[in-house]
Amino acid sequence: MQLQSAEATAGDVGDRRAIEDFLVYEARLLDDRQFEEWRDLFTDDGHYWVPLAPGQTDPEGEPSLFYDDKTIMATRFERLRHPNIHSQSPHHRTCHIIGSVTVDEVDASKAEVTVSSNMMMTDFRMKVQRLFSGRVMHRLRRVGTGYKIVLKRVELINCDDVFELIAVPF
Amino acid sequence: MRYDPEVIRSLVHRDHVHRSLYLDPEVFDLEMERIFGRTWVYVGHDSLVPKPGDYITVRVGKQPLVMSRHTDGQVYVIFNSCGHRGAIVCNDERGHAGIFRCCYHGWTFKTNGDLDAIAMRRGYGKDFDVNDRALGMGRVPRMENYRGFIFASLSPKGPSLEEHLGTAKDSIDELVDRAPDGEIDLSAGVHKYMFRGNWKLQLENTVDMYHVPFSHESSVSRSGRQFSRGAGQSAGSAISDRGSAAQRWEQRVAWGSRANGHSYAGHQPVAEELPDTPTFKAYFSALEQRHGRDRALEIIRPKRHNTAFYPNMTLQALNQHVRVIVPVAVDRTEVQVYPVRFKGAPKEMNDSFVRHLNLTHSAASLIQTDDLECFRRCQSGLGARGSEWVWFARGVDTDKEDERGDYLNNGTVEVQQRAQYAAWLRLMSAEG
Repeated sequence: MQLQSAEATAGDVGDRRAIEDFLVYEARLLDDRQFEEWRDLFTDDGHYWVPLAPGQTDPEGEPSLFYDDKTIMATRFERLRHPNIHSQSPHHRTCHIIGSVTVDEVDASKAEVTVSSNMMMTDFRMKVQRLFSGRVMHRLRRVGTGYKIVLKRVELINCDDVFELIAVPF
Repeated sequence: MRYDPEVIRSLVHRDHVHRSLYLDPEVFDLEMERIFGRTWVYVGHDSLVPKPGDYITVRVGKQPLVMSRHTDGQVYVIFNSCGHRGAIVCNDERGHAGIFRCCYHGWTFKTNGDLDAIAMRRGYGKDFDVNDRALGMGRVPRMENYRGFIFASLSPKGPSLEEHLGTAKDSIDELVDRAPDGEIDLSAGVHKYMFRGNWKLQLENTVDMYHVPFSHESSVSRSGRQFSRGAGQSAGSAISDRGSAAQRWEQRVAWGSRANGHSYAGHQPVAEELPDTPTFKAYFSALEQRHGRDRALEIIRPKRHNTAFYPNMTLQALNQHVRVIVPVAVDRTEVQVYPVRFKGAPKEMNDSFVRHLNLTHSAASLIQTDDLECFRRCQSGLGARGSEWVWFARGVDTDKEDERGDYLNNGTVEVQQRAQYAAWLRLMSAEG
């Protein structure tokens, strides 16, 4: 089956089928290590946020596991491509599963939609396999015939846990 | 006993130490007893427990502890164990309670650890003394607060905290003085990471200036500069093992206290020009009001980059944070990294510190992850039989002594680690 890309056509802004396809496509880019293409899915003012505390509302004044704007993403992925990045030699392999998608809010005036989903990501490196899971909130903006990400917030169920090094976004 | 003082002494030399220090569970148990169980250890910061009833739970060596603020306004460090059957009383990492209540039989304790009440009291005989201190949660033998940093010693005797900190104390002053109100705040949140390696690997690393161009190679661009670590900066520090960057790198002061194991790596010379942003100007003017211009200029140019307080706490001036090292097992260590906010500084400035620390020291950061990988590889490789030793010989022939007999040197030497192992040897081979 051909995956629908960000450019895929959709009906109204809250078209659930189109949104689900977009979320699957987005996760697949990460698993395929197409990090630059993943970054391109974000709006210019877009953010990727993984809080460190359950229910955390403040990404500016409180620490987060990730709180990346597009500049930080570019630095992050430049480093992931560096030939001598020791912590990714070999790199993590990842596998995302996305499910339980609900369209929570449609703001037609801004052409934005807020979507919740559940995420599981398994990663593997050097004989260690880990399982991360959590609730994801996407704020998507309809741009042309596709979607762009204004905010992706991943609240891991163990967000306040003690982690070994993490390389690939959830 | 296998590790008598003579054996211990044979494991540590001036510029090399035996690999069993990182590998043998018996050495680890002894360290928890003789280092973490004796000397002053950092417990927490008083800004984590601002109001009476606030508490945090921590582990020092193998001891579960509670640091709480009592109704008298003072901070107490008590053992997290019920005086009755020994259960953990405070189960959360951080919380607030009027009284601590054990889940098992409902015994209650005051927030200074004293026994408050025994459930169903009438079942106990007349001679049962509820005022017996042994029925409380118990307090650590000694605790001290230096400018908000709470230290405890599990031993009733030994040097005072002031003697223990010595001139390393100036690093705390340097950091705290940068807050216009003269106080720092650690309550924004905490990064927590873990690695499958010995705790000393992390302690050595925080003051190691030798590893930077190599371990962190992937964070340095082709121009030899690291990514920006502050708002408004186009690029970060020049880091290279060659040319002028290397020369600046070698100008740093390197210092270590043989007696107490503390150490620091100095700053590279800081640019004379002050940042021309409204936020920085507001910050500087607040500092100036409190201290006057000359002192304010001194304060914003900290001399010490990284300081490691033996055995479990480190400070960093750039990307300022307080880091706590929690040994779990001989080959497993947890680390907490608290962003430091300056009380009285503009919110945008504190927010920017917090945001940049995500980038350098979270478990998903661009810097710390390099070191975690190196620690993992060290622990995996140290068991190899090709050599019995780990080497800290860099600059050993150029070490000087300061007026207190502490080690002084410059640049990318391993003087800090030599000081750490001098203290290790002193503590581990001391009797009783």
